[in-house]
Amino acid sequence: MLDKLLPLLQLCDSNFPSGAFSHSFGFETYIYNEKINNEKTFREALCAYIRTQLTYIDGLACRLTYDFLQKQSKDDVSRLNEMLAALCLARETREGTRMIGERMWKLCREIYSFEIWNDDKEKRDYIHPAIVFAIVCDHLEIPKDITVLSYLYTSVQALVQNAVRGIPLGQTDGQRLLVFVQPYLIEAVQTIDALTEEDLGAVTPGLEIAQMQHEQLSVRLFMS
Amino acid sequence: MDEKASIIGRVRGMNWSGLLQCTAVEKNGRTIVSDCYYEGAFKLARPIYLHPSQPTIYLMHVGGGYVDGDRYKTEISLQKQARMIVTTQSATKIYKTVKMPVQQYTSFFLDDQSVLEFFPDPVIAYEKAKFYQETTVYMKASATFIYGDIITPGWSESGDLFRYDWIRSKLKIYHEGHLKLFDHLYLEPRKGITDIFQMEGYTYIGSLFVVSPLITKDVLKKLEKIAAHFPNEAHFGWSTPTVPGLVVRILARETYIIEVIFQLIHQLIREECFQEGPIFLRKY
Repeated sequence: MLDKLLPLLQLCDSNFPSGAFSHSFGFETYIYNEKINNEKTFREALCAYIRTQLTYIDGLACRLTYDFLQKQSKDDVSRLNEMLAALCLARETREGTRMIGERMWKLCREIYSFEIWNDDKEKRDYIHPAIVFAIVCDHLEIPKDITVLSYLYTSVQALVQNAVRGIPLGQTDGQRLLVFVQPYLIEAVQTIDALTEEDLGAVTPGLEIAQMQHEQLSVRLFMS
Repeated sequence: MDEKASIIGRVRGMNWSGLLQCTAVEKNGRTIVSDCYYEGAFKLARPIYLHPSQPTIYLMHVGGGYVDGDRYKTEISLQKQARMIVTTQSATKIYKTVKMPVQQYTSFFLDDQSVLEFFPDPVIAYEKAKFYQETTVYMKASATFIYGDIITPGWSESGDLFRYDWIRSKLKIYHEGHLKLFDHLYLEPRKGITDIFQMEGYTYIGSLFVVSPLITKDVLKKLEKIAAHFPNEAHFGWSTPTVPGLVVRILARETYIIEVIFQLIHQLIREECFQEGPIFLRKY
């Protein structure tokens, strides 16, 4: 297990240049409207985000990809990728995940060699970061539940760092939040494990509206 | 459209609570309903020409509402250049479903340059209702699809809102055979529906989807202008999908607020994209 830990730490490191720090995925709209304005309101929103968006979209997409890879079903991965692109109705959030996904994909293909993926010459115009993360972890032989949990953690970590800058919060508050959310992330992995493809993408209308409204915000720290 | 023939062949005789199939064709600049079949609780009245060349059809349910285990299917095809407006005669009411959720499947097949405008009345889900709705569109890139959907919270004897068990509503738009727009709305009142990210304290939800090559940057700019005049009781956002078009999500505390916004956008699209006047569908 020791040999698996280091690549996983590298992938989840906040210095890993995925570009996630440029995106708030709708949180900035709530900060702008002062619905999120301190540690308490951010913590509640973060927990809601874990229960909804992270569970039914990102986390489930990561787990499904891992399952498809175990079955060597590349077509299912492509189909899932197409669904994820179609699912995100807010343009900036869709472009944000596209940019993060592409950067991760490009970088990971430089540092690792995925046998079944390297032969793919076809121009890919979208790859969701959850899919990239699962492909890398599958390649590194990291177990499924740890893959999903790590992916959720990296997503939450980026949001917390953005909140520290955006609200702003203290660095210690940020680290305290990352301890606070741990049981919620583990619970989310268990929930995700019991879901099926039919559950994928169950969106929350309020967050989606915030992601859409972000396009019209007059002052913006983040690209989404 | 290979999918179409195989799907239509399969669904008859499958014991639906209501089944409706209909085809519209364009003839000498006018669209006519050329073929129509219905069984069970579904019925279709004679098309009404609110516009001289575009029929409006009213989907009817002959019972009072949807009950336990009901399964409905509607399939509407528009051939090349056909234009049709589709609505319902009244709200879709979902009553208590104890054993099996109510399922409703609707498919549209839109051939080259056809235009379909679909504005059903709101879905009302009452106490202990479970409702699954799946709408699938197979369209050509030159076709136009406009769809406005409203979900209301229903009410119970106690007067409380949101007493239904759950509503799941999916929309899949296949654009030249590829899934380009997928919406999945899942509302489960027991799980903090009024919270942040969910309904944000609002009770009604409206979603408007437009996929059309005629939605240009120019039209979107005009939308931005009229959006400033939307009723301020509404909480809404709009964006653009991966194919030319428009998506609007609205939260409100009354149905008519959503209907007003739908109408303003619908009118803008009819004017800007088709140089047509507005259409008023309301039946009361």
